[in-house]
Amino acid sequence: MHTDTQHQLPAHLEVDHLVVAYERRRALDDISFRVAYGDRVVLVGPNGAGKSTLFKALVGLVKPQSGTIRIHGMPLGVHTDCVAYVPQREDVDWRFPVTVADVVMMGRFGRLGWFGRPGRADRAAVEHGMELMGVAHLARQSIGDLSGGQQQRVFLARALAQEPHILLLDEPFTGVDLATQETTLSLLDALHDQKVTIILSTHDLGLAAARFERVLLINRRLIGDGTPAEVLTHEHLSDAFGGQVLTLPDGAVLVDQCACHEQDEILPKVER
Amino acid sequence: MFSWIATPLTYGFMQRGMLAAVLVGVLCAIVGCYVVLRSMAFLGDALAHAVLPGVAIAYLIGGNLTVGALVAAVVVAVVISVFSRQGTVKEDTAIGIVFAAALALGVALISSVRAYAVDLTHILFGNVLGVGPADLWLIVGIGAIVLATMLVLYRQLLVIAFDPVLAATQRLPVERLRMLLLILIALTIVVSLQTVGVGLVAAMLVTPGAAAYLLTRRLPAMMAVAALIGAVSGIAGLYLSYYANIASGSAVVLVATVLFTIVFLVAPRRGLIWRHLNRPTRTV
Repeated sequence: MHTDTQHQLPAHLEVDHLVVAYERRRALDDISFRVAYGDRVVLVGPNGAGKSTLFKALVGLVKPQSGTIRIHGMPLGVHTDCVAYVPQREDVDWRFPVTVADVVMMGRFGRLGWFGRPGRADRAAVEHGMELMGVAHLARQSIGDLSGGQQQRVFLARALAQEPHILLLDEPFTGVDLATQETTLSLLDALHDQKVTIILSTHDLGLAAARFERVLLINRRLIGDGTPAEVLTHEHLSDAFGGQVLTLPDGAVLVDQCACHEQDEILPKVER
Repeated sequence: MFSWIATPLTYGFMQRGMLAAVLVGVLCAIVGCYVVLRSMAFLGDALAHAVLPGVAIAYLIGGNLTVGALVAAVVVAVVISVFSRQGTVKEDTAIGIVFAAALALGVALISSVRAYAVDLTHILFGNVLGVGPADLWLIVGIGAIVLATMLVLYRQLLVIAFDPVLAATQRLPVERLRMLLLILIALTIVVSLQTVGVGLVAAMLVTPGAAAYLLTRRLPAMMAVAALIGAVSGIAGLYLSYYANIASGSAVVLVATVLFTIVFLVAPRRGLIWRHLNRPTRTV
């Protein structure tokens, strides 16, 4: 980069007054935020808050009713390979006859264009992605034979092979083992050092508070945007989670996400 | 000693039939891998039945039957895709409606022409022994177009089948590629009609692919094994038809089914017997 300071770099991602509706129901209502170059943001909110919808809008999978999304100051569709999206694991057909290496190579297809053939750089990126995520030894295995955590890592390896500027991760910690969770978190640290912009959604408020500097709290509309201490307040959480929030006598806040198969989350009382 | 193999091949119609059965077996098997993986068996069956009115109309106006079938198959592929894309009707419901309507229309049209009864059985169940040189060229030509398209667009078709979300983020025209796949399946069905007929072509699409799926772990290998099973079914089916004196289309499909059943039982790792022998042992 040849600009004077990083502060003068344009925001990587600008979302202005975004509205997405399915049928007549508004899934996202007037959401605006900016994510700067190399930032790391965690997206939290109750089930059905529109976290996945926001990601899908950011990669162009759903069309907004109104509002704009700009990447590097350009509208969606101009950059076809700089955003990598790791969807929730349920969205993929795991019985498909492809190997781990095949799946990771798919991350390069966007760069190859319609008729290009994978070259040395592509194979190197695939190899590198698999090694970083610790799945290189599984390269020739069928994806259907892997555990949930290994499948998650394969998808992260594919996202790495895309060499994205912006990485979107939808609930990467749901249903994976602790080792995968730690590998993922240390990968995020490494990518942060390489100035890759990261947006990750989770329903684990404790993890969000502990490992991220910036939190976006949404429930169809944007409820809070700032540091964990600023956003994860009793007031905001009640606003987002409604009756699912219980304040314990010692000041701890309990959020019950009953539609979710994970256990309840307890998070320490934060500064008000 | 091998005269039982050679004798049938002394007839010209058997040579052409054998060639047609192998070509159709291979083509259906390769295209059918996508039918199996995308769970489109019902759609394939519907497309096959939907060509009936096309054939009937072509016959009534004195046109080319194959062209009639092609037009009908493509129209139905588009109609089903439009019905289900709106999201107002589920895809299998849309298929059920279009499929039954097309079949009814086809039978209605054909029943208005008496002398057509014999030809109707040929369309429904195939008559590989009636394949002429022109039919063979048609199979070769359209088959080559279908396979070349699948080869050139291999990566794109792989991604939309495995992970449509990734395909969309890579800005691939997902809907158009899906439509293209439907049209490739429709073309395959049309050139297969003479061999196995409307009623049985779905089996040739699905059965070899299903068996190959149990034996392989990558798509190219699955297609190769499916093609082999398709070819073997074609050849063995025709011999069975010749010596047991049964309808050729049924014989080909029955051989494919037997091969699938064997694979289903003995396939390593995924077969019934393997899984039975390797089931987790209960602790006493």
